[in-house]
Amino acid sequence: MRERFVTGFDPFVLPFLAGMIFVLCYCAFGIVRILAQLPREDRRRFLLSLITPATALKNIRDIFADCLLHVKLWRRNPLLGFMHSSIAFGWFMLIVLGHIEVMVYCPDRIRLFYYPIFFNYFVAAGESTIGGAVLFFLMDFFLLLILVGIGLAIVKRIRSRIFGLRRTTRPSLTDRIGLYSLWAIFPLRLLAESFTAHISGGSFLTIPANWIFRQFLGNDLNMLPTWWAYSIALGVFLFVLPFSRYMHIPAEMMLIPMRNAGLRIRHPRKGFARLEVLSCPECGVCIDACPMSVKKANIKDCTVYLNRQLRRGNERRIEEISDKCLLCGKCEAVCQVGVEGPLLRMEQRASRRYGLSPDFSGIDLSKLQAPAASSQKVLYFSGCMTRLTPAISKSVCSVLSKAGVDYRWIDQDEGLCCGRPLQTAGRYEQARQLMRKNEELILSYGADTLILSCPICYKVFKDEYKLPGVRVVNYMEYFAELIAAGRLQIEKSDICYVYHDPCELGRGCGVYEGPRKLLGKAAGIAEAPANRAESICCGGSLGSLSLDFAQREEITLKSLQNLYDSRADAIATACPLCLNTFARYSDRPVRDMAEILDAAAR
Amino acid sequence: MDNKKILIIGGGPAGLEAARQLLRLGWEPVIVEKTEQIGGHLSRWYKLFPDMMPASELLEQLTAGLEGAKVYLKTRVAYMNRLKDGYSIMLSNGTGIQCRAVLIASGFSLFDASKKEEYGYGVYDRVITNADLEAWFAGASDSRIPEHPRRIAFVHCVGSRDLKAGNSQCSKVCCMTAIKQAIEMKERFPDSGIWCFYMDLRLFGKKYEDFYINAQKDYGVHFVRGRVSEVSEAIDGSLVVKAEDTLAGTPVKLNADLLVLMAGMLCNADTATLARMVRSEVDSDGFLRSRDNIYRINESRRPGVFYAGACTGTKTIPETMAEARAAALDIHNYLCGND
Repeated sequence: MRERFVTGFDPFVLPFLAGMIFVLCYCAFGIVRILAQLPREDRRRFLLSLITPATALKNIRDIFADCLLHVKLWRRNPLLGFMHSSIAFGWFMLIVLGHIEVMVYCPDRIRLFYYPIFFNYFVAAGESTIGGAVLFFLMDFFLLLILVGIGLAIVKRIRSRIFGLRRTTRPSLTDRIGLYSLWAIFPLRLLAESFTAHISGGSFLTIPANWIFRQFLGNDLNMLPTWWAYSIALGVFLFVLPFSRYMHIPAEMMLIPMRNAGLRIRHPRKGFARLEVLSCPECGVCIDACPMSVKKANIKDCTVYLNRQLRRGNERRIEEISDKCLLCGKCEAVCQVGVEGPLLRMEQRASRRYGLSPDFSGIDLSKLQAPAASSQKVLYFSGCMTRLTPAISKSVCSVLSKAGVDYRWIDQDEGLCCGRPLQTAGRYEQARQLMRKNEELILSYGADTLILSCPICYKVFKDEYKLPGVRVVNYMEYFAELIAAGRLQIEKSDICYVYHDPCELGRGCGVYEGPRKLLGKAAGIAEAPANRAESICCGGSLGSLSLDFAQREEITLKSLQNLYDSRADAIATACPLCLNTFARYSDRPVRDMAEILDAAAR
Repeated sequence: MDNKKILIIGGGPAGLEAARQLLRLGWEPVIVEKTEQIGGHLSRWYKLFPDMMPASELLEQLTAGLEGAKVYLKTRVAYMNRLKDGYSIMLSNGTGIQCRAVLIASGFSLFDASKKEEYGYGVYDRVITNADLEAWFAGASDSRIPEHPRRIAFVHCVGSRDLKAGNSQCSKVCCMTAIKQAIEMKERFPDSGIWCFYMDLRLFGKKYEDFYINAQKDYGVHFVRGRVSEVSEAIDGSLVVKAEDTLAGTPVKLNADLLVLMAGMLCNADTATLARMVRSEVDSDGFLRSRDNIYRINESRRPGVFYAGACTGTKTIPETMAEARAAALDIHNYLCGND
């Protein structure tokens, strides 16, 4: 192996070189900016995590698994996983192998960072060794892998349904430029290396291609233009990268260590939030997942488009999208890079200035307070939404009485809101005021258990309330304990129910199996095609601030259709809002778990 | 086709009155009724406002002139095909009918009050609907109605003018029905207090306003402007009704022994199926779409298909009677080629 040019330079490398320098500068500047935007403690935490061996190791493992091999995507959709990992991992290996080649054959050139990329142009094969053959074979192998990946990507662009995607994102102009230059890079590399293969050597792909081309191309004049084209394609890709979805490649490598350091979104646009937005690859998995996209007009309100508008800074659309969302959390559940769509929207809502800010810290608790001697150790808090569905509270009380539990229903007559609706509306301060009031109220009873029947309340009580000495429990968990302790006998009926996972209980609190076990004891059980974390929001969510009834109806009908597909006789759920919404449109009975258990309890 | 048959779908007030008129005009109406008796909702009602006329009396008058009309009970239309100059109909009992004109008088169904769960129908023991109360007036027993109710509350607009319930239209008759039932209750339980919770009182018909004034003046019925927000059950089984009095601008709480829900009118669930059979249209409110809502309410957009009564929208009985007669005349003119 010897070098063909003493200078080790040819003008064709310039487009690539310029693009590479541009991207590196941009990213370096971006990292500094994002670090500067982080609150001081977060920055300290992040920098410390980088030098902590355990997190550092986890970072490397996660970056390798998520950015290169796309392990999560493989699990969700093997075809898509193969496509992405073949391009990402293949390209990574080409770069690594290129560097190995340079280090092995001309170590003094390693400082020129175009050398590993255009290695085959600058060298000529003088000898052939086993090691060289293996290297060349691997280079061709990974190039082939990438080409297969690119082929799949082209098919996906034309017929996304083959890949299980009903709808994909509509690429923006820069996305298109990036996309087409990415598609061009690897075929051009194959051509360029093939044209040079009789000089520089090659393997199973490039040598035969070289032989075929030489059958009808009389000279080597097309060699240099092809290398130019390859370099230009690379340069174009690198130049549009910061302005297109391909920014997710560097951004995600930064996001993973920050997430591993335990950072959270603290500002709607800056720091960690900015990084999440940049990490969105605009794959569009959230479009099919979003319950709103049942209506074509709502597709542009999915998280992928929120991210795009956040990149562009289109304030009008950002506000619109932030208000419309149901905050069901499904986009976050299916997202491959972990963009927290609901939280981004809540932060956006919280960043607004309101003319009127009610103050709840002055509420007089004396009317709601317990009488001095309250003997009950178990409290039940039904919440506001349950006032619209009295069957739930009635059934909960009935079951508790049947089990002989001495309980107190603390908001039977009057009560305070748990604060979750205000929290989802971005009114954090008002929500906090209500929570503090409720904490004060609940602690005044001196009880040790608080039962909640509404998952909206449950989520906020579990995550945000500070109630030392009081165990916060969902009624289903409590009923299961009563059954296990033999205080409650359950008789199984022959009705077959399908269990609908309420957003706040399932994706919000991670409760999936408990209700199913409980329901299995009281009745037959069937599963809907989309269940657990994939469950479809009923459409009644308090999360949306702007969807009207007509728009919600279609979402509800879609969610119901998914439940009908289980062929169950009736629908079971565990949320007053789901019950209320479904009951309006369902063609079969809808029951809360409390009602089912009350009917089955002896 | 030269037979004189006319198919009438629905044996309620509209269908019966139209049949009576068509008989007089020399046609042979065939009534198809899905339940086991004719009369529709009227047969389950006790008295009619504003004259307090017994519903049975009206029903007697309607059925008196029906000799000669064919009536199929517990029968539905299985399918209906359009012929060159009429329709070929197969009934669920296997009878085939060919006729040149069809009158749809399929009426309404009552809103299912359990869908407004916050009012507790089907959840609490002391909550009934207007229809339940009429049945009790007519003599049926109802364990939900206490022997001596001290306080009775009526809730207007249950499932009417309510976008959440998917029903934006006014049911027209409930305001008056509530006042009528309040008076009837007061007559039965003179010591009881009666409260009506309303959004607006829509008292548009002859004598309606007088009826309302009498209810206040002579019977002492209380009217509270404001919707009921929630109902809960006290330990003794009585109901705690929470509402806002929007005239006084304060929240109010009422302890009631009986709560009566004024369930509104919805288009009959079978009507959409019927409409599909004759390729006629359903309007955005779920009722059938007339040619227009001013001049040709009785006519569909299909030749030979006519409408009467509450299948095209909420109606009072006088309106239904007028429409039934108009439809009979329309059909007569259509069949005689008088257009």
